[in-house]
Amino acid sequence: MTETSPATIITFVAYIACVFVLAGLSHRLLATKSFLGEYFLGSRGLGSWALAFTFAATAASGGSFTGFPSLIYSYGWVLAFWIASYMVAGVCSMGVLGKRLNQVARKTGAITIPDVLRDRYDSTALALFATSTIIFFTVCNLIAQFKAGALIIEETFNLPADWGYSAGLIIFAVTVVFYTAYGGFRAVVWTDVLQGIVMVLGITLLLPVVLRQGGGMESINRKLRDRPPTLVTSVPGAYNDLVIQARGQLDTAGLIYRHPQRANAPLEIRWDPGVGAEQRFIEVFLATDGDGQPTTTGNDVKGAIEQHPRLGPRFRVSFPYDNNEIVTDRFGQSTERGATGIVGLDGARGTERFVFLRGDEVLFGPGRSARGEPFHPLGMAISFFFMWAITGMGQPGTMLRLMAFKDSRTLKRAILTVTGFYSMIYLPLVFILVAARVLIPELNAENSDKAMVLVATRVVGDMGLAYQILGAVLVAAPFAAVMSTVDSFLLMISSGLVRDIYQRTINPRVSDRTVKRASYATTVIVGILVTLLATRPPDFLQRIIVFTGSGFAATFLCPIMLGLYWKGMTRQGALSAMVGGFVVMVGFFLPTLFGGSRIDLLGFHPNLWGLIVSFGLGFLVSKRTGPAPAHLVDRYFYKLSSPQPSHSTEDGRQSRVGGSA
Amino acid sequence: MTADSIQPRKTVDPVFRNSLRECVFLLLLWLACCLYTVTYCYLAGYLVHEPHPNATGPSIGKLVGPLTAFDRHPQSLTTPFGLGVPDWVFFGVIVPWVVAVVITVLYCLFFFVEDDLSGAGRAGENP
Repeated sequence: MTETSPATIITFVAYIACVFVLAGLSHRLLATKSFLGEYFLGSRGLGSWALAFTFAATAASGGSFTGFPSLIYSYGWVLAFWIASYMVAGVCSMGVLGKRLNQVARKTGAITIPDVLRDRYDSTALALFATSTIIFFTVCNLIAQFKAGALIIEETFNLPADWGYSAGLIIFAVTVVFYTAYGGFRAVVWTDVLQGIVMVLGITLLLPVVLRQGGGMESINRKLRDRPPTLVTSVPGAYNDLVIQARGQLDTAGLIYRHPQRANAPLEIRWDPGVGAEQRFIEVFLATDGDGQPTTTGNDVKGAIEQHPRLGPRFRVSFPYDNNEIVTDRFGQSTERGATGIVGLDGARGTERFVFLRGDEVLFGPGRSARGEPFHPLGMAISFFFMWAITGMGQPGTMLRLMAFKDSRTLKRAILTVTGFYSMIYLPLVFILVAARVLIPELNAENSDKAMVLVATRVVGDMGLAYQILGAVLVAAPFAAVMSTVDSFLLMISSGLVRDIYQRTINPRVSDRTVKRASYATTVIVGILVTLLATRPPDFLQRIIVFTGSGFAATFLCPIMLGLYWKGMTRQGALSAMVGGFVVMVGFFLPTLFGGSRIDLLGFHPNLWGLIVSFGLGFLVSKRTGPAPAHLVDRYFYKLSSPQPSHSTEDGRQSRVGGSA
Repeated sequence: MTADSIQPRKTVDPVFRNSLRECVFLLLLWLACCLYTVTYCYLAGYLVHEPHPNATGPSIGKLVGPLTAFDRHPQSLTTPFGLGVPDWVFFGVIVPWVVAVVITVLYCLFFFVEDDLSGAGRAGENP
């Protein structure tokens, strides 16, 4: 394993120092302005660069630099299709709601999304439900983001596997919670700008380096296509995974680990030449102890396959990238670690099945997982075109930024900047990680989350001082992405608790001083709670991020969008839309909590069903309970001009209360 | 004419009107990109057009009928203009991406209205 260079560590630490300086400057500015408006919304004064970078950096989360690269590494070019709706995500997610939401928020003085809902529908219940939902989804997302941050630090500083994750988690949590709590929204935005620049710079510099090391994209594709069929196992437990490659013509579908369901069973390998190649599997019956628990290590399986008279000549067995390291003991003796861990197989489940993937499968759709499931079938392809562009509109974190810009011209320039930003980030990432599959040997599913960081530290880090500094910038890029999302989400929870629940519902007369203390305290407490939850994080970050992003959209997009653009949207319609969308999302994901699969009705992602149910209920219930109160319609959809001697309005309706303009 | 009969004249909020027009334009742009990219990539870029195995009920792949005629052979891959990008990604994702960026620029320059947003209210004014 290559050591991380001092240049990488120094650059990384310098970056963190910059973030703290920005937090300090922001804190000084905070003292000169109205606390709430400044702490949670930057006094509605964002310029175009600040808006663009804070919007894009918040959207480009840990998923963009850990989960997304992991998926590209695993499934290949089909991820260009998976991410394709980013071609219009910038303009849609900012342009559809931006101007109108900003205007409405100014009109009512709203500084949070629950504020907007409370005022638009004149409903405290809606605001409280919105706040609760925000807290629920945000905490889920933050756990995944904290894991991403911890993994990046662990990998960057080469921390030992047994305590590296915990140390990384604490360093990450202390850094991000401190600067967010201390500096508030302005610090978050300024660091977002810094982080956005780091992301673009990192990707832009990394692309040519990786392409050159891989011999160009043509060569990379050729190497991928010509690779022998490969199987990578990924079962519970550390250092137990194997890479199995066919030496010649592949005549076996895959490998099945089987728990023998009895005590003191020996390790046994079966391979039946009598069945067709597509049904022929290497069956590994694991050895068990007196309690029936598996005792077989990955190394045992490797040895058994290599010594098998029929399988030995057919397959080459090695270790995934992270297992293939040299371990030096305290006497200076070095040994190859290999797969020394027990193959962790749940006796109740009994089997784990993996299939061989041909090299050319990563050049086309739909992509297949190590377990043989298609990654991106048609229903998912349609769903994911909704996911980034449409779902992106419904994120409270990004909507909040649309309430904070200065004027229309700022929004226009920011749309152009964000469109360029997304183009410079997402397509190059696909190129880089497709190349990474050639440059870095096999990673198992668990470690593929580290693919991007490994590219930055290992591939680039071996190339001399100039590239070591580049490597440091590149490591900072994913770290920046994670931090920029976490800081925004921490503030969102804090604002929900302090502003929406305490100040506007429980105690409207609370003093500024108390609000200030409560804001600092809640940000820190939430940070600590999430850190504790992230000590046992889930696998595959991208799944959590997709769940929370979809949940936000299914809950918030309809009441906000129809509330801004449809006069007939009622309080009951909005509440139905929010509850319906939330219930569908949680319900469709619920089986995953019990070891099952997400419900993909008709093959579509729950995201799509959540939006359909939410908009459907919002429309139908509003139609049934309408019309909306005239004073709200007047306030949000009409402008009052100089008095005229008439009772009727332009469209012939009567009104009781005039709106403000 | 008495004071009671004098009412302020109501007109549709111009920010609402312009925003709605822009909203419709952008949703149509998204729809056009979605229809083109999904159709092209699915038909031209997949080795097999198999249905979703975990789908609850019939999958969308089953609903549109068998598309095996569109299955790609691995050896048929080309990379247009020597860029190293698979043909289906180039025409299905990169070309529409460039077109979408151009339309976005035109939208911002010629379609987007710089409305005045400085209505009543300041941050933190409520409650």
